Amino acid sequence: MMPGNLKAGAILGYAVLALFIFVSLLPLWVALKTAISYPQDIFQSTTRLLPPRATLGNFQRAAGLTSDIVLTSVNASPINFVLALRNSLIYTSLVVTGQLFFSSMAAYAFARMRFPGKDFLFYAILASTMIPAIVLFIPNFILIKELGWLNTFQGMVAPSFFMTPFAVFFMRQFFISSPRELEEAARLEGCSPFQIFWKIALPLQRGPLATLAILLSINAWNEFFWPFLTGRDESVRVIAVALSDFLSQTGAGTPDWSGLMAAVIMSIIPIVIVLAVFGRQIVESLQTTGMK
Amino acid sequence: MKRLRALTLAAAAVVSTCCVPAAFAADVEISYWMWDGKQAPVYQQCAEKFQATNPGIKISIKQDGWENYWTTLTTAFVSGNAPDVFVNHLSRFPEFLGNGVMEDLTDRIDADKVDMKAYLPGLAETWNKDGRQWGLPKNWDTIAFVYNKQMVADAGISEDTLRTLTWNPQDGGTLQKVLAKLTLDQNGKRGDEPGFDKSKVKVYGLAQNPADGYGQSEWSHYAASAGFQYVDKPWGSKYLYDDPILAQTLTWLRDLALKDGYAVSQEQAGQLQAVALFSAGKAAIVPDGSWMIGSYRDSTSFKFGFAPVAQGPKGRRSMFNGLADSIWSGSKHKDEAWKWVRYLGSQECQSIVGNSGVVFPARPEATELARKAHEAKGLDVSAFIMLAKPETTFPFPITDHGEEIANILKTAVNKVLLNQGDPASLLKDANSAVNALF
Amino acid sequence: MTTTMIPRRAKVRLPDWAVGYLFILPALVGFVLFYLVPTVRALEVSLTDWNLLRAPKFVALANYDKLLADPTFWNSMWLSLCYVAYNIPVQTALGLLLAVLSDRLARNVSIRALIIAPYLISNVVAALLWLLMLDPLLGLTNDWLQALGLSRHGFLSSPGEALISVAGISTWRHTGLTALLFYAGLQSIPRDLYEAARLEGCSEFSMFRHITFPLLRPVTTFVIVTSIIGSFQVFDVIAVGTHGGPAESTRVVLWYIYELAFKFNKMGYASAASMVLFTVLILVTLVQMRVLRADHSDLD
Repeated sequence: MMPGNLKAGAILGYAVLALFIFVSLLPLWVALKTAISYPQDIFQSTTRLLPPRATLGNFQRAAGLTSDIVLTSVNASPINFVLALRNSLIYTSLVVTGQLFFSSMAAYAFARMRFPGKDFLFYAILASTMIPAIVLFIPNFILIKELGWLNTFQGMVAPSFFMTPFAVFFMRQFFISSPRELEEAARLEGCSPFQIFWKIALPLQRGPLATLAILLSINAWNEFFWPFLTGRDESVRVIAVALSDFLSQTGAGTPDWSGLMAAVIMSIIPIVIVLAVFGRQIVESLQTTGMK
Repeated sequence: MKRLRALTLAAAAVVSTCCVPAAFAADVEISYWMWDGKQAPVYQQCAEKFQATNPGIKISIKQDGWENYWTTLTTAFVSGNAPDVFVNHLSRFPEFLGNGVMEDLTDRIDADKVDMKAYLPGLAETWNKDGRQWGLPKNWDTIAFVYNKQMVADAGISEDTLRTLTWNPQDGGTLQKVLAKLTLDQNGKRGDEPGFDKSKVKVYGLAQNPADGYGQSEWSHYAASAGFQYVDKPWGSKYLYDDPILAQTLTWLRDLALKDGYAVSQEQAGQLQAVALFSAGKAAIVPDGSWMIGSYRDSTSFKFGFAPVAQGPKGRRSMFNGLADSIWSGSKHKDEAWKWVRYLGSQECQSIVGNSGVVFPARPEATELARKAHEAKGLDVSAFIMLAKPETTFPFPITDHGEEIANILKTAVNKVLLNQGDPASLLKDANSAVNALF
Repeated sequence: MTTTMIPRRAKVRLPDWAVGYLFILPALVGFVLFYLVPTVRALEVSLTDWNLLRAPKFVALANYDKLLADPTFWNSMWLSLCYVAYNIPVQTALGLLLAVLSDRLARNVSIRALIIAPYLISNVVAALLWLLMLDPLLGLTNDWLQALGLSRHGFLSSPGEALISVAGISTWRHTGLTALLFYAGLQSIPRDLYEAARLEGCSEFSMFRHITFPLLRPVTTFVIVTSIIGSFQVFDVIAVGTHGGPAESTRVVLWYIYELAFKFNKMGYASAASMVLFTVLILVTLVQMRVLRADHSDLD
């Protein structure tokens, strides 16, 4: 190994990472910059990285508090973002818990067990990701309406609670690539299948599970169309729908860019906090391979 | 003992159901949906006044932005919980009529002797088909030029000149001359000076919203002022997009940007709408609709004014879009809904709306109130109002297959302005495709 | 005196297949109720002419006939295919590269967090932000390009560039996700293999080729299959950014289906188009799964 080569490669590697992170963060910076700008300045300073003057008035307006910045072209009735945050937390926790648990169980069965129709069922579940969601919405909407579950948490959570094909597929691949020895040993000792699953196979996948949890959470947090159809009432309205309602308050005019960006920043904060607090734990678990 | 208890219970039940005082009877709740955010608080004021004089009826207003409004409304029609009253748009009129989701108002209007002539001429008529009235006029909008006062002054153009612009499809009339003067390149040369570099324009004379198939603010006023008509007749089935006047008009608009450099091209216009370009100082003049007045006030930090659209060979023309309030045919409270709709069209409610200045209400007196409200805030909106007459306006085309047609026409107009083909043949093909739908 | 021995509960050994079914039961319930039944319903609807507001009218296979002859539909499939070609290779390769870099070079939590940052915001917001940044006259991208001496571009407003720009926005948002998935996969590769390879004098490239890549196969399959399926169904960015334009250059299949269902009110026709898309995706996935041999791990 030539040290020179290694160094050049490393520098290139760091450069790639830096460039990518810059491109990743730039739009987020634009969001922040727009959120602290005065509405009149937004279009005059789109090409600059810093706003000509800054204000917190947009955050106040988005949160429904009185603000120095009053827009005449916007519906002044406030959107309760704090309530929306709570609703998103409830919705996301419910959905992710159900999805993680039931999907891993099913994934384990697909990866390790034998039963008639296994392959067919797996491909059927996989196939359900390929049907355009739009087409599923109307029948599902009618079902939820008939159950009387419109504008309730159970109505919003129902279709995605029991599983999501993505999670089943994901965990199945990881169960497959996991060595069988430990499970074989447990089986010989007489453990029940559920015990093997719960105490041995699943903990081995702590890393992938954590990753999956993050991804499912982000997906659920940003989920829009289904909650839009079934959860319009303020008591269950999640952040994505609240943002859309906020955006639509300008009706026929231009979007309230600064208010929208302020609302967006406020809606990312919970995720960022959760990641920051639990990030260390998640990362540590990502680094174990379980081959202890 | 048991019998006594049973009797007591029965008696209690009877008493509790029979002698309910009127005040405890459930209020009838009328739901009212609209898409314009700034109108919602104003109509809330109307609702409060209405509720005071109509005890027992409660109005619940819901506002949902334009993008979501129609999806939500359609879903509501399908699932059976549509609003009792909703704001209606001409582009949906044929579809809603064909699907029977609106309530016929004719008999109620006759019974209550509602004066349909109290509205600006033309508004009530567009919501009438074969003698049946399907909506009560609510407000109207027209198109005018918005101009940057400083830029105009710097170019040595008087505001009077702006009010008397002429246009024709061949050389653009005085409008083109003014636009040339207002265009500045990066070296400070104006569009009508030698040495003007059209590839280095800093400020354009003209910008408009990305053009669509109907061009309400973007090109309809030019074409109509030269004699162009969308369809052979209202509710007709023959579109006239193969009219050479339209091809000439769009060619002029295209060349104004791509050949002369006096206007922002379709591609450069982006998706942010003309108001963004205007407030960023990229263009001096922008044609836009009266519903945008508030947006211009909110996003610009400089003085701007309104001028009527240019005078074409056949005079001045603006698209006249009148919204209406309609009642859902499946409403369970049609009588109460009708009371609310009547109130919405009444002098009292429309005056409240007029005074707020958020839109131009359908009644002329209320429109005058709106004009005064704007004047009090330093804006002269007469440019919009002066055109609100039958001679100088034309309606949004009302035919079946509205959405599909809008799509075909939008693609064709886009292609013309993006210089992706010969305008005449692009329009002719689109026209045939549209007419084939009937 | 009873014995102190606690009798072991008689173990009812369920047959293997019963255990299997028990495990998948909840997922199966969800699948049947919310995926299978609606799909069958959609199939039914595809055999009708239905505008949502009136009762459906049975027309048998008329919708499918019309579909086969519909140039807009096949054009939209072609556009979707192009879109996938612009999006997936770059997203997957870049994601893999970033995962390997974060694993071998810069094992810092913050770096991984920053990489996934774009995924935190929804597609709609991402589209709005890029709409602002890519604007032909007002966006900062064009100003920076000009400052670097390059030419300005229409991006989302230019018929020639719109589709690629949409792909770019999606790639921006999803590369971090892809990297995270690959990273998780990398963790399950036993470290001792790398140690052994280094002792033998292998270079980083060689280790990647002979250890990392083969052992990542199940994860790679997963990533490619799911991203292609997702990519074929791009919608939000188009709904916010281009609405199928300019001049139909981004009228991809799911946008066309949406227009059919919600704007032109042709629910039956839209369902038929969805069925065709569905079939195409199934075929594409089957081919991929076979080619990539997703069922096995090379560790065996």
